Amino acid sequence: MILLDLELKDSPGELLKALTPISKMGINIHSVIHLRERKRDDKVVVRIVLENLEEDTLKKIVEKLEDRGIVVTKVNNNIRKMDVDVVVIGHVVDTDIRDTIDRLNRYGLVVDLDLTMPHPYKESSARMRILVDIKKLEGLCKEMEKISKEKDLLFIKSF
Amino acid sequence: MRVILVGFGVIGRGVISVIKKKREYLKKRYGMDVKIVAICDSSGAAIDENGLDLDLALEVKKRRGKISEYPGKGVTLEATEVIRSVDGDVLIEVTPTNIEDGEPARTYIIEGFKSGKHVITANKGPLALYFQELMSYAKRYNRIFRYEASVGGAMPIINLARETLAGNEIIEIKGILNGTTNYILTKMEREKLDFDTVLKEAQELGIAETNPYQDISGLDTAAKIVILANSIMNMNVTIKDVKIEGITRITPEALTMANKGGYTIKLVGEVKRNKLEVCPKLIPLDDPLNVKGSLNVAKLYTDLAKEVIVVGRGAGSIETSSAILSDLIHTYLQTSKG
Repeated sequence: MILLDLELKDSPGELLKALTPISKMGINIHSVIHLRERKRDDKVVVRIVLENLEEDTLKKIVEKLEDRGIVVTKVNNNIRKMDVDVVVIGHVVDTDIRDTIDRLNRYGLVVDLDLTMPHPYKESSARMRILVDIKKLEGLCKEMEKISKEKDLLFIKSF
Repeated sequence: MRVILVGFGVIGRGVISVIKKKREYLKKRYGMDVKIVAICDSSGAAIDENGLDLDLALEVKKRRGKISEYPGKGVTLEATEVIRSVDGDVLIEVTPTNIEDGEPARTYIIEGFKSGKHVITANKGPLALYFQELMSYAKRYNRIFRYEASVGGAMPIINLARETLAGNEIIEIKGILNGTTNYILTKMEREKLDFDTVLKEAQELGIAETNPYQDISGLDTAAKIVILANSIMNMNVTIKDVKIEGITRITPEALTMANKGGYTIKLVGEVKRNKLEVCPKLIPLDDPLNVKGSLNVAKLYTDLAKEVIVVGRGAGSIETSSAILSDLIHTYLQTSKG
């Protein structure tokens, strides 16, 4: 059995978008399970159980899904990609928020940003959700440390 | 069992109150007759090899502030001299914590071993700075050394990991080990108040100390992390090896942001191979580490039992003394066997 965890938008047609390339390759899908307890914002995790496959075929499936913009978070319980959250405290905007995001995007992808500025002279807070490949997580942490020192920002991480 | 108590502040008085309260229970349950043969504070000591009157000792300390004024038995001897000269089985060391150099507690503990006493301490300073040295003295003089109260107050963690979870490899420990900072963050989150306001209120309530630096800077948690790393995970580290970030920059807006994403912010201490860290972390709202108020919590990741979580009161004189009492009972049971 092969288990694939996919992160899908919780809207009609999204599941079909994920299943079509698999069925077109003639691969047998044993079951599809919605992990609704892991629903966050408008995303839901769906676990697809497939028949046993050659390593190359599995790789092709993952590539095809990712080409369609689908996030494959786990393959057989091995985490490939994960969402991490950070709350950033400091002069987030004045220290060039665009540059901060660009630098984080070298290691992952900032997919959500929420900002609050209580007063022009006071420190602001931002919450970011970053989609990151597990192999690049350490690089992302190091980049956050660098930015933190350069811009006097405090990164409070969920990991 | 003859006990020398060094340190007669809040914790020391708590230890005496608990021993007083449990005297009959200890006799019945364990056949243990506890005699406090000396109590030391900064003024000197009260010494009676037949056992001090504990009510009188508490009364003298309350009324005169100095144990050396204990009628007929009060002396102005230094604690080190008392430890050396008074015949006792166990030294309970509960002087104020000094994270800078661990003194005078370090000297008291070493003198305790040298003069043939088992030692129980609640003191983080010497453990965080001189763990290996103190252990080597305990070994050299073949004495028991217990320090459950130094981490998490009444919350069992050191003895839990070493005795109850014996056979398990402890892979990681993660927890909230400082009640003051947890109280401040909880209050800031609930009432949307800023850090300085909540700190001031916590000081007025006696939850935070007049000088709260060690708590809010993360230093207190770091000392505890070091004790856990050395005693449970067989590491050889000191407080200088811990990466530390405190909670002074946390704002109510940051807490609101965290809440919107399904998290809260907690000051978390973490120890695993290649990682010793104290910093504010995002903790999912439904995670067992999300304990409120001044509670402490620790999550131990083990190879066999997997995750084990303990929650308890991290401070308070009676609560902390309960951990000291359990160490005292353990010492008695170990030594009365042979």
